[in-house]
Formats: sequence, structure tokens, C-alpha cells
Amino acid sequence: MSDQIIFIKYSILIWLRIVRLGLRHGPVNMVREIRRYDWLWYLLKVNGLMRRMVRGRAGLYREAICLVIYTVVCNIGDLLEGVFLHPDRLIMNEDMVPTEIARAMGLNTWTTEVLGILLPMLDPIAMEEYIDASENEGIPPDICSLPKSTMGMALKGKLPDVLAIVASNLPCDGGMASYELIEKKLNAPIYRLDVPFNFYNDRATRYFTEDLKKMIAWLENCTPGRMDWNRFRDICERRNRMAELEMEIWDMIRTRPAPLAAEAVYLPHLWHFNICAGSEGSLKLYERLVGMCRKNLEEKKGAVRNEKYRAVLWNPPFLHFLDIFSWVERTYGVTLIIDSMTYNSLPLIDTSSPDSMLRGMGNIIMQGPMARHTRGPAENYLDDIFRIYRQFDLDMIWVAGHVGCKNTAALNGVLREMCREAGIPLLILDYDLSDPRIVTHEGMITQVEHFMENVMKAERLAP
Amino acid sequence: MFYMINTDCKTLDYFQELLAEPQNSLLEQAVDEGHIPIGYTCSYVPVPLLSVDRLVPVRVRAPGVAGTEIADNYLSSVICSYTRSLLEFAIDDRYDLLRGWVFVASCDHLRRLWDNLGYLKKPLFNHMLDMPHKTGEAGEEWYVDEVRSLAVNLSEHFGVDTGAAMIEKAVTEHNVVLALLRSIGELRKKDRPPLSGFDFHRIVMAAQVSPVRMIEPHVRTLLDEIAGADGGNEPRARLMVAGGELDDPEYIRAIESQGGIVVADRFCTGSIPGLEPVTLSGDPLADMARHVFRKTMCPRMMEDFDRRVEKIIETVKEYRVDGVIIQIVKFCDIWGVESGPLVSALRDAGIPVLKLEREYRLSGEGQLRTRVQAFLESMGR
Repeated sequence: MSDQIIFIKYSILIWLRIVRLGLRHGPVNMVREIRRYDWLWYLLKVNGLMRRMVRGRAGLYREAICLVIYTVVCNIGDLLEGVFLHPDRLIMNEDMVPTEIARAMGLNTWTTEVLGILLPMLDPIAMEEYIDASENEGIPPDICSLPKSTMGMALKGKLPDVLAIVASNLPCDGGMASYELIEKKLNAPIYRLDVPFNFYNDRATRYFTEDLKKMIAWLENCTPGRMDWNRFRDICERRNRMAELEMEIWDMIRTRPAPLAAEAVYLPHLWHFNICAGSEGSLKLYERLVGMCRKNLEEKKGAVRNEKYRAVLWNPPFLHFLDIFSWVERTYGVTLIIDSMTYNSLPLIDTSSPDSMLRGMGNIIMQGPMARHTRGPAENYLDDIFRIYRQFDLDMIWVAGHVGCKNTAALNGVLREMCREAGIPLLILDYDLSDPRIVTHEGMITQVEHFMENVMKAERLAP
Repeated sequence: MFYMINTDCKTLDYFQELLAEPQNSLLEQAVDEGHIPIGYTCSYVPVPLLSVDRLVPVRVRAPGVAGTEIADNYLSSVICSYTRSLLEFAIDDRYDLLRGWVFVASCDHLRRLWDNLGYLKKPLFNHMLDMPHKTGEAGEEWYVDEVRSLAVNLSEHFGVDTGAAMIEKAVTEHNVVLALLRSIGELRKKDRPPLSGFDFHRIVMAAQVSPVRMIEPHVRTLLDEIAGADGGNEPRARLMVAGGELDDPEYIRAIESQGGIVVADRFCTGSIPGLEPVTLSGDPLADMARHVFRKTMCPRMMEDFDRRVEKIIETVKEYRVDGVIIQIVKFCDIWGVESGPLVSALRDAGIPVLKLEREYRLSGEGQLRTRVQAFLESMGR
């Protein structure tokens, strides 16, 4: 009963936040925006997503997931208010370029790829029309579907008008190259940050910090934003506190059974560290998550009722099939403990001076999850997998084998042999990040079943 | 249907022989004489540096590759077939003369080739040049430093002299060959060029896979042979080929089979702007590095799209090109995405464009010929 009340409570809160957006912008204006940005309709499906996410999940685990989804909705509301109400201060940032600096400059940000990440979660087929638009423009079908989705949105005029764009050479060639087209379609000036191949050294830090300084000067030149170092310090300090709290969660989820898991662990990082790190709302979320996690730990309650296997997910989560983990929890007791996108190895920023903050932020960009995995030598990718395996006391490795991610596909052979040698069960689950037409959900489930039955010799749990 | 040339040039056949295997007879001869072949895979490698002292640069290819079954297991089948072919050949010991490899972090595919080569068959010398993704002063200085590190590593590993005098000598020798190749390339501007695009690319490729000092007399002889020769019949169309890696001149031959002639090129292993000489001004290493950094126009460089388009348009005018063929190795991300806006930009400039996706190995020739024929017809040729 209380589980049902939790769901209803957060459903109501989500609706209230959506209504607030409509009221602040005015109904007539909202209608106009919906006509231009028809993807806004998808946002109304958020409670459906939450319903799928909480299936089979109870107690604080369930509440944590609801809370995370609610905070994501709140943040989207804030972002949309920036787009609708303050377009004179709006810039676009690539998802691998954090928003902290722009926010410290008093600018509003819209992350170019945010819809390509968010909409498939809400509706698996949401990106198909944009992927098709991109391919019809001559972009090869084999390119990663996230940049294809984003290019498609640009081609169809579904991205907001912005004063400027900041992007980088991350995370992969397809993503990097996509900005040639996006820049032309949006007809906005662009600044590109350049992360060196070898970035674990002072030379790279100096090079990249200088690049960040040039980016700030460039933004000051082409937007009304002005760097406010005190505001930047506040943001960095809150970000540091978030990172400390996240590490507390990591410490706790090392325990068997893990007190929190899956979306309650990776979704907060995916959203709050990439879109709005250092905001007060994000910090509050982490404080509450730590409280929930600790309570479960003290009561020796596992998030998953029957935790039998502990898994890591490598590469971005299955955007259009996020509920695969609630299914696998119920079916085999497989618990997703952590994922590669959450595994931040260098989370803290020295806030003693503007230079030290930029250096810290620069290192976070260069050495952040995914950035360090897709740039630099194979060790950056492979060593982390085995480190995380040991650190979190795991039983298996899942690789989200996104067919468009050639960069990581080219390491599967080596990874397979290394896992075999170490006796670690490995599932490389073939699928496409944003396009369920490539591998259907049924096809994905079949791959999991084959792995669990043939490799793990696991039996299905009683319903 | 081919553009027919009135020359019967024996030297061209010799160049053909040099391309038949990944390591040719001149390279074998150089090894016998104590030289040290170093393989490289990208135009951002400062080739003259690999020519200093006893070093010999070799652009790594996989001619005649039949399949990539083993490489597919490691690199997967969604990586470009150039890199898969190289790995297959490497596993098969087809590069046994090479004493080292120099890679560039130019694209995801080549980086992962470097990783997999290091895992499966680690070369004793396996250097990765950290290439920035931005043009401009900071990027250029970064690259110069990278080339300096490469010079030090080559010197320490192979005991060769990579000092300024040696680099200057190597650059000068390269410039001589580049000048000869440029003179041959200039002949393509004639109304009826005395050599086909297929012929020209045999020469250019042979020069990239052979020791400079050994290939130079052959290039000189060829220039003497064809400089005054008459051209063939009126070509059906003058074409330009642009795109990524293309080291098999047979592909150009297949394009020309429909009566057109490839008079200009802008691809990794091509001549424009690849044949421009290095200008020396006191620091040969820095001069060489800056030259390579500025002249190589790969879509892996951010914020440089307009310059790349302008270069193609400029070449179209200079060589009086009727249409541009953009060829992309399947799965190449940077050329794949670049080609979309590039095709639009060229069409906006009034230039007919044909975009072709292909495998590294020449295959599907029938389809290729049909596409080219249709393209020529669409231009009213």
C-alpha cells in the first residue's frame, strides 16, 4: 500500500511541475511552443516511464527511483524555462562539455544531445523520425544513433535557437563530426574544446585549461554572459559535495545485498552530474539518496529483494529499454550495482583560485567517464572495467554493445579474451542506443536469457 | 571506353609491380643494405622524419587482401575495412620487414588498430602521435612538440641521427621527389593529359611505399618519358576524386572505365595538397611539422570545414573539373558525417557530386561502373 502511495505522490508532484511550467509561460505561448517543439508531448509520458521503472521495486529503493525521476522533471522544467523565457541568455552545449562554467557566467544552457538521451527513455520510438531525417540527408546509417538523432533534430528545426554553441572532440568521431552539420543548421557561432589523446599529464592539463580560458573569453564576446568566479566557486563546491555524497553511496553499495541499485545509482549521475552539477537541487537529491541508502544499509535491507548476481553495465545505459534491469532483477535476481557512466575517477575540484578551478574542471572533462574511455589508449577503457569489478564485488560484466559505437566495439575482442582469462562472465548485449528497430526488446531479452542460462547456469526466480 | 593514352611507357609497369605486395622489391633491397623500414598509416605523419639516417618510411597497405576474418574478431565488423585489413596482414606477418610503426591519433579506427596491434602482435617500436583536433597556434605547437618526441624516440630506439642536419637532408630529398611528382601532376591540367588518373596514382602510391632515394630515378625517368607525349582521345569528363584512404589505383581505373579521366584528387594518399614542398627556414623539424599540420586537410580537424570545401572548389577550377566523386570507406565516421554537408556545399557551388561508399578492397566493380556511368550521364556527358 505504501509503495502505491509513493508512486501516486510523485506522479502528482511531477504533474504539478509540468503545470507550473505551463502557467509561468502562459497557455497561449505554450501552445505556440508545442507547435514548434512537438517533442514536448513526449514529456507527458514521464509517469509511464516511472511506472515501468518501479515495477517489482519496493520500499526506499522504489522511493529513490521516483525521487530521481521527479528531480529530472524539475530540472527539465528549469531548462525549458531558460529556453522559453530567457532566449537572450541561451547557449547550447555538447553533453561532454559540462554546464558549470556557462552557468557561472549567468547563461542558460541547453544540452544538444539531451533529447536524444531523454526521449527514448520516455518512448522507445521517439527518435526514429530524427534518425531517418539524418540518414535522408546523407549521414551514413552506421553512425552512432545519438548524433544521428541530434542532427535529425537540427535538420527538422527542433532544437532551440541559441546565441552560441560549445562542443568538443568528445566522445567519439561521429559525435565530434556531427557538429559541422549542427553548427550550419543552427547558424550559430561555435567553440570547440580539444581534448588531447594523452591527457593524464600536466602538459595536457595546461593545454586544456588554456582552451577553457579561451572558451570563456569567446563566450564573453558573443553572449551577454560574464564570468563570475565567486559563483563558479559556489557551483564547484556544491559539485564537490555531490561527489563526496556519491562516493558515500559507492561505499555502501559495495555491501551484499546492495542498499540501492540500478536507476537509483546511475540515473542521478547521468542527469545531475552532466546537466546541472553543482545546483542546489542536485545537491539536495544526493543528500536524500545517501539518507535512504544508509537507512537500508543499517536495516540490512537489500534494494533488490533477491539479489543473486551483481553486475556492472559498461557503456551508456539502454536508453529505450531502461526497464530491462527491473525485468532482470525480477527474473534472475541480477542487480545492477554501478555503470561506467557513473564511475568518475577524479571528482573533486580545488576551489582555491580561478586557475585551480579551471584545472579541476578541465581534468573532469578530460578524465570523466566515457571521455576517458573513448579517447586515449585501450587501457583507459579496459583497466577501469576490471577495477570496478573488484571494487564493487561483482559477479558479471555487462557491456551495452551499441552497434553504432565502433570505438568500443573494436575492443570487444580483447575484452572477451581478458574476461575469459580472469574467469569473469561477460555479456556483450548487442543493441542500438536510440533505435529499437535495430535490435528489438525481445531480441535483447533473448540475449540475456541465453547468457543467464548457458553461461551463468541460472534458473528463473519464482514469480 | 577507357581514356586512351598514346604512350607505351615501361616505367609505369614497374610502378605497378611495386604496388603488388605490401612490401616491395625496393624495400627488400633497402633492408639488405641495412635500412630500417618504419610503417605509417596516416598523412599526419611527418614522413621525412622517417627517412633520416637509415630509416625508410612505408605507407602501410594491404593489397590483395582477401578477407579479414581474424581481424573482425578483434576490431569487429563495424570498423573500417582499411584498419581491419591492416590488422589481418599484420597477424599474418605480411609486414615482417617493418621494424616499427608510427600511428596518429587521427580517428577512432586507427587508434583502435594501434591498441589491437599492441595486444596481438606488439611491434618493438609502436609510436602514437597525439594529434590535436584543432588548427591554430596552440594545436600547431602541440603537434611540433609531438614530432620532437617522436624524433627523440626514434633516435633512442634505433640509434639513428635525428638531428637538424639529417632532417634537413631528408626534407630536401623528399622535396625533390615531390617536385617531380608535382610536375607529373601538372600534366593533368592539359586538355588531353598524357597520363590517366590510374597511371598517376600508380606513381604517387609507388612513391609512398618505396625508399625515397631509390624511387626518385624512376620518377625522373617517367617524367622524361611522358612530358612531351601526346594525350589520348577527348575525355568524356574531367573528374576529381575526394575522400579518405584510397591506396589502390585500380579503383581509379574502374572510375575511368566509363570514359572519364580523373585529373585531380584530394584524398589521404593523393597528391593535392599532398605534394606541396616543405619550406625550410632554420628549424627543419619544426618546419616539417608545421607543413604537415597545415597542409593535411582531414575532416577529423574541427572548425576547418570551410577551408576543406574551398580547397576542393579551388581545385575544381584549377583542373577544370566537371564533377567530383566523393569516395568513403564504409564505417568511416569522420568522412561519413562530413560527406553530408560537403555534398550540399559543393552542389550549392554548382558542382555535380557523386558520393560512393566502398570497401577498402576493390569490390562491386559492376555497381561502381554503373554509378559512374549514371553520374556522367547526369552531367550530360
